[in-house]
Amino acid sequence: MNNLKKNLKIRFEIVCVLCVACTLSQLLIVNTAVAETPAAVEANENWFSGAWLDGSWMPQSVQIHGFLSQGFVHTSDNNFFGKSDDSVSTDYRELGINGSWRVIPELQLSMQVVYRDAGLTDDQDVRIDYGIADYSFYSTESSLLGLKGGRIPTPLGFYNETRDVLSNRPTILLPQSIYFDKNRNISISADGGYLFGEHRTEFGDFFFDVGAVIPRLNDPDGEFALTRDLPGKFSGNLSWIGRIAYEWQSGRIRTSITYADFHVKYKSNNSIIQPGKLQFNPLIFSVQYNGENWSLTGEYEFAHRHFNDFGAPLDSNTTSIGYYVQGTYKFTSWMEGLVRYDNLIVDKNDKNGKKFSASTGGLLPAHSRFAEDLTVGLRFTIIPNLLFSAEYHHINGTAWLADIENKDRTKTKKRWDMFLWMISYNF
Amino acid sequence: MALRQNNQTTNPGIFKVLIYLLILLIFISPLVLADSSIESKLILVQPVINANNKQTSISRNGLSAIFKMRLIQWDDGTPVTVFVLPDDNPVHKQFSKKILNVFPHQLRRIWNNAIFSGSGQAPITLSSTAEMIEKIATTPGSIGNLSINELNDRIKIIDIQ
Repeated sequence: MNNLKKNLKIRFEIVCVLCVACTLSQLLIVNTAVAETPAAVEANENWFSGAWLDGSWMPQSVQIHGFLSQGFVHTSDNNFFGKSDDSVSTDYRELGINGSWRVIPELQLSMQVVYRDAGLTDDQDVRIDYGIADYSFYSTESSLLGLKGGRIPTPLGFYNETRDVLSNRPTILLPQSIYFDKNRNISISADGGYLFGEHRTEFGDFFFDVGAVIPRLNDPDGEFALTRDLPGKFSGNLSWIGRIAYEWQSGRIRTSITYADFHVKYKSNNSIIQPGKLQFNPLIFSVQYNGENWSLTGEYEFAHRHFNDFGAPLDSNTTSIGYYVQGTYKFTSWMEGLVRYDNLIVDKNDKNGKKFSASTGGLLPAHSRFAEDLTVGLRFTIIPNLLFSAEYHHINGTAWLADIENKDRTKTKKRWDMFLWMISYNF
Repeated sequence: MALRQNNQTTNPGIFKVLIYLLILLIFISPLVLADSSIESKLILVQPVINANNKQTSISRNGLSAIFKMRLIQWDDGTPVTVFVLPDDNPVHKQFSKKILNVFPHQLRRIWNNAIFSGSGQAPITLSSTAEMIEKIATTPGSIGNLSINELNDRIKIIDIQ
């Protein structure tokens, strides 16, 4: 019965992928047709042949964009995004489509719908990643001030807001010390409102975002990691986020500082864990230099986690440290290489994790409290908007492995290797 | 798997990565040399707007904000429509570098960030300067960039203050 269900699910996925692929190929055909003979497309009145897809029926203030990515994962040990240990997992795909409508110059409405599969860490449903009403009430050549409300991508560091799309992140897997993929669904976006602004001067542009949100907690691994299969529910309380940024020459140099105060509560339906509260305070410093052919990026995060009222052993007060340094170089217009060193220490007062491991009686190994990741990668632009990426990670530690995919932590290996490949198209 | 054996030795990671890097460099060095081709010949590119636009000049910050899709209306409130050429087009490259003082890949990142975070829209990419001439001439409130020898009476240069 389970097998049948699984088969049906796989078939459903294949149908989904095929549908999107067909739509995309239509778009490609239409785009090239427009490029060669605009008149030929205008003459084509048949909507199904793709004439409706070129957007000629829409007002110019409406745009539709999307992406389609398929990844492959192989690990020497430990599972990541599916059964990757000594095998190749294909359980890693991201499809999304978004629409935006500039109703009047001051007001834009936009929404993105995403389907995502990442092994057991994502439950493969179609969800609304963001839905935003964005109103700029003050706009001049040098300044912008606005308000936005709805479900909004959370401004954390350089990459969180657009982490869905391969072309907008430097590697297939973002530096995990700051951008956890196992709990990606919690960090991607939250419901609430932001005040934002920017000021453009001759010596650079200044930006700020400040928001009040309710975090969304529906993430398969997030709940499992804390409470295993015990009945209970996490939900968000009022939280705050602020980010200030400075960019010189439209991003030749970029810097930002992010701080957030996230609050989560736990409603227990079991006798082992008490209803409790969790407070999470990340502070992120980000710096980037962008040259014509090369770039250098570094981000550093202190994150304070406070578990309160749950009872032992969950109650704790820890500060983690995460940072990475990353360099990219464009060898040609179609090939870019990347090297990165990424380091995560879950508790700065227990860097090697030994005290923590002893406190769990060895059930959770010391190496589950740190992870050093050395990455080399190559990215090829096959045609504009079609990317192929390949990367190799050598990892010392298992801190960002998902518990839900590695249920017996004593069997995980401290040193492991990972290969990732991804092909991605966006329009 | 062959990878397994490495895990037994004391610290194989660094050596393995160094070897990977070395192999990478050997493969890549000819490509690097091939890519350092001569800069394309100088073309005089200017920001151009539809001739019916009442505005005649704009600040450098304002122009830059328009092409970054952050400023979306003219002084009189008319919506701006931005037309650009593909990232590797020589006219686009020169306009980005000499007038806006950005690399084309920086603009691409800004536009992609806007469309995939829901905070803005992308400009309309046209395939050729011929199409650029046609679109600027026929679209009210439009802006783009052209070589100065391609202007006509329906297109005018916007002065940068």
